[in-house]
Amino acid sequence: MTVNDQAAEPVATEQPDAPPAEAPTKRRFSLGMDRFSGLYVWAALLIIFAIWVPNLFLTASNARIVAGSEAITAIVALGLIVPVAAGAFDLSIAGTLGLSVCIIMWMQENGYSWVLGIFVCLLVGLLVGLLNAFVVVKLKVDSFIATLGMSSILVAACYWVTDGQQIVSGISPDFLVLGQKLVFGLPLPVFYMIGLAVILWWLLEYTPVGRYLYAVGGNPQAARLAGVRVDRITTGAFMLSGLIAAFAGVVLAAKLGSASPDAGTSYLLPAFSAVFLGATQIKPGRVNVLGTLIAIFLLATGVKGLQLVGTPSYVKDLFNGLALIIAVALAARTARRRA
Amino acid sequence: MTSALTVTGMTKTFGGQRALDDVSLTVEPGEIRALVGQNGCGKSTLIKILAGFHDPDSGSAEVGGTALTLGSGPASEAAGLRFVHQDLGLVGNLDTVDNLALGMGYRSYKGAIRWSDERKRAQEALRSLGYEFDVRRPVASLAMSERTAVAIARALSASGSEPKLLVLDEPTANLPAVEAQRLYQLIHRVSATGLAVLFVSHHFDEVFELAQTVTVLRDGRHVITRPVEGLTEPDLVELVIGRSLEEFHHDAKAAEKGAVVLDATELSGEAVHGMNLRVHAGEIVGVAGITGSGREELAGMVFGGVWREGEILMQGKHLHRMRPDLSMAMGIGLVPAERHANAAFMASSLRENVTLVEPGRHVRGWVLRQRSERTDVSAWLEKLDVRPRNTEFNMAQLSGGNQQKVVMARWLRKEPKLLILDEPTQGVDVGAKADIHRLIDEAATLGTGVLVTSTDHEELVRLCHRVLVLRKGRVVDEIFGPRLTSETITAATIGRDQPNAA
Repeated sequence: MTVNDQAAEPVATEQPDAPPAEAPTKRRFSLGMDRFSGLYVWAALLIIFAIWVPNLFLTASNARIVAGSEAITAIVALGLIVPVAAGAFDLSIAGTLGLSVCIIMWMQENGYSWVLGIFVCLLVGLLVGLLNAFVVVKLKVDSFIATLGMSSILVAACYWVTDGQQIVSGISPDFLVLGQKLVFGLPLPVFYMIGLAVILWWLLEYTPVGRYLYAVGGNPQAARLAGVRVDRITTGAFMLSGLIAAFAGVVLAAKLGSASPDAGTSYLLPAFSAVFLGATQIKPGRVNVLGTLIAIFLLATGVKGLQLVGTPSYVKDLFNGLALIIAVALAARTARRRA
Repeated sequence: MTSALTVTGMTKTFGGQRALDDVSLTVEPGEIRALVGQNGCGKSTLIKILAGFHDPDSGSAEVGGTALTLGSGPASEAAGLRFVHQDLGLVGNLDTVDNLALGMGYRSYKGAIRWSDERKRAQEALRSLGYEFDVRRPVASLAMSERTAVAIARALSASGSEPKLLVLDEPTANLPAVEAQRLYQLIHRVSATGLAVLFVSHHFDEVFELAQTVTVLRDGRHVITRPVEGLTEPDLVELVIGRSLEEFHHDAKAAEKGAVVLDATELSGEAVHGMNLRVHAGEIVGVAGITGSGREELAGMVFGGVWREGEILMQGKHLHRMRPDLSMAMGIGLVPAERHANAAFMASSLRENVTLVEPGRHVRGWVLRQRSERTDVSAWLEKLDVRPRNTEFNMAQLSGGNQQKVVMARWLRKEPKLLILDEPTQGVDVGAKADIHRLIDEAATLGTGVLVTSTDHEELVRLCHRVLVLRKGRVVDEIFGPRLTSETITAATIGRDQPNAA
């Protein structure tokens, strides 16, 4: 089989001047079905449900609920983009989020200021990222395994902090404002999400660091030989995802006003789904900020619509799972056809 | 007695180029035959035809007196041909038992594998080759000659027909002398059972120590088949390259030496031992050597991609090892071999591929300006005649030659003081090759010191002011001036005890 590869190689590489796959001007006039298919599907969903359940679906309160409930998932997913762009998984984000919730609540219950609590949470997030990076970069453990282990450790830490109890008392009303206040009719977390999206979009698209992240994710060996400090980039990516996950935890705590030790777990899969589904959008084949946001709100819209129509509750998970598999499979097919 | 293998009038053309031209040869049972020739002489084409990979245009083959159905792998195996390729094709993390089973399958008892029987079978197969070691160790932990033994045992024990001819590709490449000796014994042992052995080789040591007869191919044609006895090394070199070495003279590039850019002393790595190397500004220095000579690790050693010992001064300043980023900061650029693995970002645009080494140039006010980046890259694509000339195309959409030009653009844009190129035209079409050579010349003219390592000796002659030849990790010759011909280089890379003429 190795001989076969060698035999095939020159044929593939020796084509002089392969003709361009498509004329560059053509792309400008196309509807962009490949890059913007998510937007079309989203629009289609909006129209379908608007016709189907007009009095319930297309209402301001419904939009507010969807936006507010998805903002935290979106923040976690945005943070996840960074390590995934650099070719590393961070499964510990949910654990970091959960621990962050527990820490900030525990601190308030025990009389510390919530401002200090936020700093502690963010610091813990950075520290978790640093630990992940140490295990992945220095101990050379695969990121999937390293962060899987870390997430279990973080769940244990949650139970240790909270003693396995829900924390509901001693919460400062000022703190709850952070997660619950409405501005222009939308809850504050939506604005955090937008702010974070802008920052990450800038980081990934308009800074050298963004280039290095994608380069490390695309071909770490080539990146190293192009002078990129691969280890540093990976470390930075884990620290950033840890920081953002901890921030998401603070926001979630402020929104819920209570802490239970397993608050984080339900955010892991939706965040991953959104990132991978998002990689089929805007810049196909590459995880990106806008694609991730589209994916989140596309899924949320679909789920909400189905709920309003009156489908049973398991439809949510079914819909999310199917959408992810179908979208990524379709994207893989287009990628194959283009290559 | 019927011959083990008879090849008659074998001809094969690839895209108008004749790879194999009416080649005939015969190998007798129990004979050990070496098949030698330069790169592209047709040896691998011949082997691949026998293995059933390629269909010949014309010609036929007989194995043990029976006509061989050409163009089918299973047919050649059924006829009794066995192949062991240079990379051996073993699965490193499986043990010997499992690797052998990849060839002959497990014997099961009521659906369950009986491991004790399997182990016994593996041990017997190895013992018949003169080897004894723990068959439960993963093959990656075995010595190289032991691994070769496993591969040969697997080839010989594959189910079905009786083996008639064993074909080995560079059997002792990269083997330390002691292990090579063990392997020679193994091969003598199998040939003593009446099996014919045909091995392809670049290493003349191997030819003289192992083979009874040798067949030389040149430019796809059969040159000679004769006993090794009575043959001298210069004779064989002359047969391989087709001319005697003294015949050749040509006007070599005159080096206009600038200041010393790179000064490396006592470089050592995995294969390289105590090499000294100097590159001057504006000078193009080539490094030649067969696989295992250390040539392939040199570029990475200097740039910091692989471990090295020894001191390197870059423009008089100490160069850290294992720090490509610092090497780059000191003005070194590397166009590595095996572009796909080491240089290309297939899913990224040409723009990103080019500017990766210095994206900061286009940052203004916290923002990487894509428009100025596009103008910059576009100019480079034009200068290097990359097609298609669209900065937003993905690397994967380009042909090999154009991809290589993009990698060249990445470094030329940085205006390096020292440009290191490892196999710069590997897998590149003829037109792109000429362009790349022109670019290298231009860079040197502008004062860049250039270090080229290549297995393409014509390329070294075309490009270089002088060429260092590595053999077994040491510089054995420095070729420049009128001696700089690909024949001299080839002879120096494979020769055993030529006087050092430098």
